[in-house]
Amino acid sequence: MAGSKSSRKMYTADFIKSDTEQAVFLDNPLMDDMMTSIIALGAEVWANRRRTRTIELLFEKEGTITRNMIEGYVLTEEEEAELRKERDAFIQLTYGHIARTGEDQTALDISAKDNPGKSSGVDPEDETTRSGDAGMRMGGGS
Amino acid sequence: MINRRNLFGASAATASFVGALFGSKKASAAISSSKFNAADVEPRGSNGRLERLPRQHLEAQHDFITGFRVFANRDMNSAARRRIANIMRAKGIDPTKKLPTADVLKHVGNDPLVAASARMWLSAQQINWKTLHDEFHGNADAYLAEMEAADNVGPGTLELNPDMAMPDYVTHEIHIQPGGYVGDPFAGHIYHYGTNNFFEGRNDQDELHIALANAMPEPEDGQVMRVLDQGCSCGQLSVALKQRFSDAEVWGIDVGGPMVRYAHMRAVDIGVDVNFAQRLAEDSQFPDNHFDLATNNIMFHEVTTEAAHQILAESYRVLRPGGVYYPIDFYTGNPVPKGVYSTFRQWWDSRWNGEPWRLGYAKFDMASAMRKAGFIVNEDGPPSRRGSRRNIMGVKPA
Repeated sequence: MAGSKSSRKMYTADFIKSDTEQAVFLDNPLMDDMMTSIIALGAEVWANRRRTRTIELLFEKEGTITRNMIEGYVLTEEEEAELRKERDAFIQLTYGHIARTGEDQTALDISAKDNPGKSSGVDPEDETTRSGDAGMRMGGGS
Repeated sequence: MINRRNLFGASAATASFVGALFGSKKASAAISSSKFNAADVEPRGSNGRLERLPRQHLEAQHDFITGFRVFANRDMNSAARRRIANIMRAKGIDPTKKLPTADVLKHVGNDPLVAASARMWLSAQQINWKTLHDEFHGNADAYLAEMEAADNVGPGTLELNPDMAMPDYVTHEIHIQPGGYVGDPFAGHIYHYGTNNFFEGRNDQDELHIALANAMPEPEDGQVMRVLDQGCSCGQLSVALKQRFSDAEVWGIDVGGPMVRYAHMRAVDIGVDVNFAQRLAEDSQFPDNHFDLATNNIMFHEVTTEAAHQILAESYRVLRPGGVYYPIDFYTGNPVPKGVYSTFRQWWDSRWNGEPWRLGYAKFDMASAMRKAGFIVNEDGPPSRRGSRRNIMGVKPA
């Protein structure tokens, strides 16, 4: 496997590489990559926030901080539970709105979107700006 | 894969629930840690039987991924399910009815919320693997040295067969894990920590595997001297089986050399005597009539239909008369899920989450295949996990 710097025996075999990196779900590969970037950034923000909290806890308890103390610190159950709550709130704040995308879109709206000549509510341009058949797009090269 | 969470939605309570069914014969997460050598890489110590990830930052990233998976599996999943139901109803189609996959994709694949749901789950999966891959490969020599030092140390044994012929079907990147099970020297490390956040933190102490081991039915005569765990991956079930059947000789076999290497190292570290070998489930090399009990966990949906038949025939061969076969996977003994949303998720999981054989497995008639192999089949065997009413099992006729 590429990336390993060692002369030691690996016990690996050839494998068939997945093509998932080429998957496009959001019309444009750049949009897909942006989504991955945003989630990765969320992980980094949260990791730093958790580290900051660890530093605060250590400072309160010990009055001094070293890198080893931070690395070795084990959160108490209460601290873990509090941080879990904070983490879930952070995720909801950051990504929760995506789960509500178009949640007020009614069955009627959706029907209208499929038949833009008939109605209402949905900008017909929305249809025309999306290219290709969805099944094919999500199916990629399959 | 998205539905695995439901199937595996057990908690620590599962162990006590299932354990109660089997009286005092229970595995537990208790360990007798044997620090096997100075090469042990454990810079941040252990939490029970789980070695903490080697850097606080990585641990925190995985804490985020765990939380994000919960969000993706619940909020995004629910939103996409509602949206798909709305779309189908608007088209005059009952969303609870089964439709051909091509029709499902035609109707729902263009929806931005459905697409975002799939994209977000997949992005989290990619970040999950990449962070682990980078960590272990960034310190490859130390981690390889750690495994080397454990290779020939007990308790238990390790057999590696680096020149064995690999069928193509085992060489895919299942779950899009980099290198899959055979192509990365840290496949075991990456699989173990990657699935920990997949299980949303509920399996850090092997709780789910312990519950499975405790749910395992015994042969009618009660004799369990040898146990086989096929497709054992990083060995969590094999270890739990040894802890339940402490007098038995337990074998864990897997096609991935790095998988069984990690499994052995971990079992040595925990202090449990299990034999791990790099072998194929369909060509296990064991003598006829050798095992009292053979099992596997979430293996069958990762093999081809052809291999599934071969594995059943091999399992029949190596079990002794009266021996029990207890395969644990999706839908064994349960109805295949119906409805538009399930069809979409199954397709999506298979196509983009590296589950190339899952759709074939969904159509696989396990009961008929087991009968064809010679087993007396009980489709209403004892459940393997909470929330499941039954699990298929077979007995080799006496």
